[in-house]
Amino acid sequence: MLRAEINDLLTQTGPETPMGQLFRRYWQPVLLAEELPANDCPPVRVKILSERLLAFRDSAGRYGLIDEFCAHRGVSLWFGRNEEGGLRCPYHGWKYDVTGQAIEVPSEPETSNFCANVKLKSYPLVKRGGVFWAYLGDPAKQPPLPEWEFVTVPEGQTYTSKRLQECNWLQALEGGIDSSHVTFLHSGNLDSDPLFKGARGNAYNKGDLKPFFEVADYEGGLLIGARRNAEEGHYYWRVTPWVLPNFTMVPPRGDHPMHGHFWVPIDDEHCWVYSFDYHPTRNLTEDEIGAMQAGLGVHSANDANYRPLANKDNDYLIDREAQRRGETYSGVKGIAMQDASLQESMGPIVDRTKERLVATDAGIIKARQKLRKAALALAETGAEPVGNRPQDQKVRSVAIVLPADQAFIDGIGEAMVARPGVPQTSV
Amino acid sequence: MTVPALLSSCARAATTEEAAFRIDYPLAPARATRVVGFDARAVQAVRSAADREWGQAQFYSASDPGHQLVTMTGETRSLAEELDSVGSLVMVAATGEAAEAVATIGAACQVRGIMTAGLVLTPGRLMSDALMALRPYARILLVPADEDDLIELLQAIRA
Repeated sequence: MLRAEINDLLTQTGPETPMGQLFRRYWQPVLLAEELPANDCPPVRVKILSERLLAFRDSAGRYGLIDEFCAHRGVSLWFGRNEEGGLRCPYHGWKYDVTGQAIEVPSEPETSNFCANVKLKSYPLVKRGGVFWAYLGDPAKQPPLPEWEFVTVPEGQTYTSKRLQECNWLQALEGGIDSSHVTFLHSGNLDSDPLFKGARGNAYNKGDLKPFFEVADYEGGLLIGARRNAEEGHYYWRVTPWVLPNFTMVPPRGDHPMHGHFWVPIDDEHCWVYSFDYHPTRNLTEDEIGAMQAGLGVHSANDANYRPLANKDNDYLIDREAQRRGETYSGVKGIAMQDASLQESMGPIVDRTKERLVATDAGIIKARQKLRKAALALAETGAEPVGNRPQDQKVRSVAIVLPADQAFIDGIGEAMVARPGVPQTSV
Repeated sequence: MTVPALLSSCARAATTEEAAFRIDYPLAPARATRVVGFDARAVQAVRSAADREWGQAQFYSASDPGHQLVTMTGETRSLAEELDSVGSLVMVAATGEAAEAVATIGAACQVRGIMTAGLVLTPGRLMSDALMALRPYARILLVPADEDDLIELLQAIRA
């Protein structure tokens, strides 16, 4: 259970909110690279943290993320002409560069300096690892560029997709932290999904349906270890890192690519889920990329606007017969939509004053506490948040078998640290 | 393929407007929770938490061999009686000095189907004897934890 005012604090990410201010201290994924594929390509609307913005790539290949609306009459610049080094409003021809600076106002005399006084709000936008990242905070506090391993490995080793999720970001994130649901909701996928099947660890998952959990506090966030029985005197550990505020990874399976998510608030009732797969030491195979593009693994099959094809308008294509046959636990196909369907069913912003948490929800309880404390510390004392430093981001999930008397944090050692060219630790 | 059933379909059911029609009844009574500290540092944290208002939570200390619990006012109670009708038990330890008591109480909870959680009060340290003592018996462990974690956990589960 959460008090209403704390639920509001955690779920509201608009510009003037404490959680919104916290988010504005991090680079956030805002577009896939494919969305701005060429110089002078069409601009793309970006709504993030309850701000309406427009991204474009100018004639010189520079990227801009600016206020969506023309300073003159409030026209959406999505209708703009992206040409000759700027974006021109089609209404009266006002033209802006990638910094939001007006560079032409045709109605003004040629010698007028009116342009110099017209500048739209803009934010830095960088492409890194197949993803465009934006920083919406105080320029003086801008952190180093993202160093997540999935954006720093060579291009052929990584794949990122995105999908719309029609609920608040926090209930989506909490699904990424809550390892205990995997035993039930995703139980049908271990043997059938080509991005999971065949791993030795899968047998441990299926052999022990009541895992124990250890939630370890570490500098960037939390490490959630799920412990299952393995061979005599040993435990099988699956370790999920959460890095503040909205990054989680899924423990790996065998030599399959590693994967994880960013849960990015669009507004308080929608979020983008950026889902990535990468392999630290080899290129992804054609089969693997094909499976990801088909919506398997942690990805989903989407329409041209990145809305999942299985969505609430078609009841997520629920198949009660497949559910009855045991092919899927909920009747919804695919891990991503199994999660999204249930999280969206909670409503746009779930009322956490009504929930009945149990002790095994301690990971979620701890994550909420850390988010709340970070947001309030930033608002009240300006305390620097964690999670936006390179050392916080060089993290990996881990799957490992350890002796029963060994703490997982001790047993995994350097395995949770992303190191170039070093294989993942997986079972 | 299933055809959405209009009024009952997900698109409509998941809206804010429809959320207003969720049955609004008082939450069920809090689950009976027992909180046990196993060493001086842990008991201090438990005592601090006990000073707050709670639903059905009760607070104790325990030492080896663990067949008895001591309330915050110093009364000695039988473990078996105090676990009667209990839903969850939170074990708090900063050291491994009462490992036998942890084992006794943990095993008693397992037999009775009582949900267990553990808090390891070792600031700045992830490895400790306390962790190893609690691990076999706590369904979930917070490592390291502090007094705030205990209070937040109890509030979240409406203890």
